[in-house]
Amino acid sequence: MLLQVIINGILKGGLYALMALGMSLIWGVMDIINIAHGSFIMLGAFCTFWLFEYFKLDPILSLVFSISSMFFLGYFIQKYIINLVIRAVIFITLILAFGIEIFINNFALVLWTADVRKVQVPYGAANFSLGGLATIPFMRLFAFILAIIITTIFFIILNKTKLGRSIRATAQDLDAARLAGVDVAKTYSLTFGFGVAAAGAAGTLWSLLFPINPMMGGVLTLKSFVVVIIGGLGTMLGPIIGGLTLGVVEALGTNWFGQSFENLISFSILVLVLIIRPRGILGGSE
Amino acid sequence: MTNRVKCYLRVYLFLMVTLSLILSFPIVSYAKDVIKFGCAIAFTGKYSREGKLYVDSYKLAMEQINKMGGIKVGGKSYPIEIKFYDDKSSDSESAKLVEKLITQDKVDLLLGPYTSWITIANSLVAQRYKIPMIEGGGASSKIFSRGNKYIFGTLPAAGQYFKSTIEMLTTFKPKPKTIAILYADDKFNIMVGKGAKKTAEKLGFKVVYFEKYSSENTDFTTMLTKLKSIKPDAVLVGSHLGTGINLLHQAKELDVNFPFISLTVGPSEANFRKSLGKDAEYVFGVASWSLQMNFKGYLFKDTKEFIKMFKEKYGYDPDYHNASGIAVLAVFKDAIQRANTLNPEKVRDAIAKTSLDTIYGHVEFNPNGQIKGTSVALQIQGGEIYQVYPKGSRKPIYPAPPWKKRK
Repeated sequence: MLLQVIINGILKGGLYALMALGMSLIWGVMDIINIAHGSFIMLGAFCTFWLFEYFKLDPILSLVFSISSMFFLGYFIQKYIINLVIRAVIFITLILAFGIEIFINNFALVLWTADVRKVQVPYGAANFSLGGLATIPFMRLFAFILAIIITTIFFIILNKTKLGRSIRATAQDLDAARLAGVDVAKTYSLTFGFGVAAAGAAGTLWSLLFPINPMMGGVLTLKSFVVVIIGGLGTMLGPIIGGLTLGVVEALGTNWFGQSFENLISFSILVLVLIIRPRGILGGSE
Repeated sequence: MTNRVKCYLRVYLFLMVTLSLILSFPIVSYAKDVIKFGCAIAFTGKYSREGKLYVDSYKLAMEQINKMGGIKVGGKSYPIEIKFYDDKSSDSESAKLVEKLITQDKVDLLLGPYTSWITIANSLVAQRYKIPMIEGGGASSKIFSRGNKYIFGTLPAAGQYFKSTIEMLTTFKPKPKTIAILYADDKFNIMVGKGAKKTAEKLGFKVVYFEKYSSENTDFTTMLTKLKSIKPDAVLVGSHLGTGINLLHQAKELDVNFPFISLTVGPSEANFRKSLGKDAEYVFGVASWSLQMNFKGYLFKDTKEFIKMFKEKYGYDPDYHNASGIAVLAVFKDAIQRANTLNPEKVRDAIAKTSLDTIYGHVEFNPNGQIKGTSVALQIQGGEIYQVYPKGSRKPIYPAPPWKKRK
């Protein structure tokens, strides 16, 4: 049974990692804590839901649409809204992000009402047995693998391409990057776009596993936040390590203490990590 | 302050005083030979939506009673009349208005307001003046635990919610022995969970797993993994729509099989069945009342006729609030006719002895005044929800086949 619990935790951790990836990227490069992150995940989930509902488009194929549409949404939100206050103190961007969250959530609420919906596909709950020892849900494994793949793609973009170098340069030293000819404004927009696109991908996978509704974003933002802090900023591996840690600890914790302690466990871990390694598990030393 | 402003202020004050006087002494037709009911309920404020449901029901029931010739007392039939006041969703306001209904409007009997804590305030006034009140809008056991003889309620206690379901379990063959109870951590579901445990143990079941979960919880994998190794014969869940869908979906993902599972909120909602598709088959639910039920009525021929008439008059589907409100007046009519007098004490005693079939179901009261649990068990069969216990339109299917054996 313990094996099954740990597997549950690892698989959930994969989804957490993908959820937190975008938040970590935006936070690390632009120093913006994107409170609206969960709302973008919600939008990605609804994108998949409606494509499925009206066009019977397979949710896995709709990944292409949710990622690309969310990329453009993020790009333009940064370019025309967040860019206006990008030089202000962190507090202002925080409030702006909060405002965007409220706007998106309530807009979605008006459009789609508070109904709980679910993408219903035949293979949604398929599973296979691991030699009789544990049961592996197919979709969760898929989400886990996809999270790793998307993170790897991001890793390659950031480390091997010119765009990635300019993003990293901007994150490290804004003035030096600008002197070296990096178009900072464009880099910021692209980064935000990538971050929101990752949220869209997480939303698609979320909609396959869980019921969705317009107000679901808040909890997801909190979880992503915890994962980012635990994993540490400034590295692509951070969200993965953070996500897996949180997933396994939550699974074991709820197994021993009971389900209602889930959030208590998440935030205890957050506090513990902040005390022992204030910059996260992978974050550099002070 | 200039004179002009003073003048405006005076006119304003004068208008307000006159207006409030007019509002507080409405023109009532003091026609004789009418049985007068009084009700202080929310027309405005945060409970106005639910308040309206009761007002609509009370009015329809009144029309229906008058159409039937009224209430018969001492060989003569009297039409009824209801005096409403707006309690602005406030308990102190409501209590004041009930006092006014009794002392100034001289109503014979009282109809309840909406929500438990306003009902408590009202019931104390009813007790002080020894006028019986039947209410359809408060389910808290706190209303009925004060030894107040003059309050009766038609909503079943949350703790009784799974009673009929657990009774149904005793009729199954092979008889289930072990029960797991999971419940969300909101007030209603905590009462549901604790009540279910008590009933299950009383009826000889072994409660092998009893666990609370957060209402915002999305991940049930740990709980399900435990259930998989415990293998309870029956699972009862105090749920919400979202958590209910999650729980079943994840049970299938992890191949956790339930021969029997029942959820409080979910199965009777169309969205639940749509979201889960075929995976919702065999799932049981509970409800104190639903549109699908059909009972022989007292004021109406049966539930179907009530639903039709209600929809024609108000343009929306009635829910359990509405049905509960109809039951309030049905019980009053029946009790007054049995008492054959309007003496409040005698009417009270007659209400306590009620045994009446209404469109809301069979009504009988516990000694504390709350209705005997009338919630029924439902099951999803072939994509539709049916009442399966007691005396449902379909027979319950038990045990449910495991996931792998379903088509």
